[in-house]
Amino acid sequence: MVDALSEAHRVLAPGGMLVDARPDSRVVAYAERVKARGYQRFGIVKTNSAEIANDRASDRAIAEVVRRRLFQRGRRGRYWHRVHFDSLAELRKYLWEHLRLARRARWIVDAATRTRYAGDHFAIRRPVRYELLKTSKPPR
Amino acid sequence: MKNTGPGWVSGVGKQFPAQASALRPRPLEELREWGGARLVRGKRLLDLGCGDGRFALGVALYASTVDGIDPDAAAVAAARKLARKNGVRNARFAVGAGQRLPYPDDAFDVVVLSWTL
Repeated sequence: MVDALSEAHRVLAPGGMLVDARPDSRVVAYAERVKARGYQRFGIVKTNSAEIANDRASDRAIAEVVRRRLFQRGRRGRYWHRVHFDSLAELRKYLWEHLRLARRARWIVDAATRTRYAGDHFAIRRPVRYELLKTSKPPR
Repeated sequence: MKNTGPGWVSGVGKQFPAQASALRPRPLEELREWGGARLVRGKRLLDLGCGDGRFALGVALYASTVDGIDPDAAAVAAARKLARKNGVRNARFAVGAGQRLPYPDDAFDVVVLSWTL
């Protein structure tokens, strides 16, 4: 990762910007039922441990190129992204197939409630983090 | 924190692989979160790990040139096809790894790692 970031630094012109955006594994995602107005939280979806380790490695790589003064940290933040599903079964199938997220949600509503609304639309609300890094190259 | 959401993705899991770009935020929504079109307007942009060109093609309207690179040859072929289909003329795609970029020094103003690192 540090190699790739160093290459990004090489191809960036002085004053250039690197944007790193990826799902934020430090914050849980949510399984939500879509209501007429708004959303009802049904469960919590964690990131699997291998992906958390990958994300930490990415964080270390960023920290390393900043330490080497290839980049300076700029603005950063987090936003939420929703993926919608036609039913609870579709959401479950997505979780089962998805490599990054835990295969099962931790439900915060009881089984009867899940059954009652199983045919409704659902969504997974995921946190995405971003950071802008400015190249430290001096102007030519 | 704000909410962003694409439209409905019907039959998800049946029609799209779990990591498909169709399930990611729309390019302009991402761009808005990062600071808006001014971040790329008139600039030379490299999308590192471009996949099927989701982000690169989405912001090509604003950038002067857009390059995408990805180690997945099938994804790059899909990006090229999508660019042709949509008449995007300022986008180029290449197969390659981020550790050895086939571009000269100082070739870009913005490098984007969108769901890549």
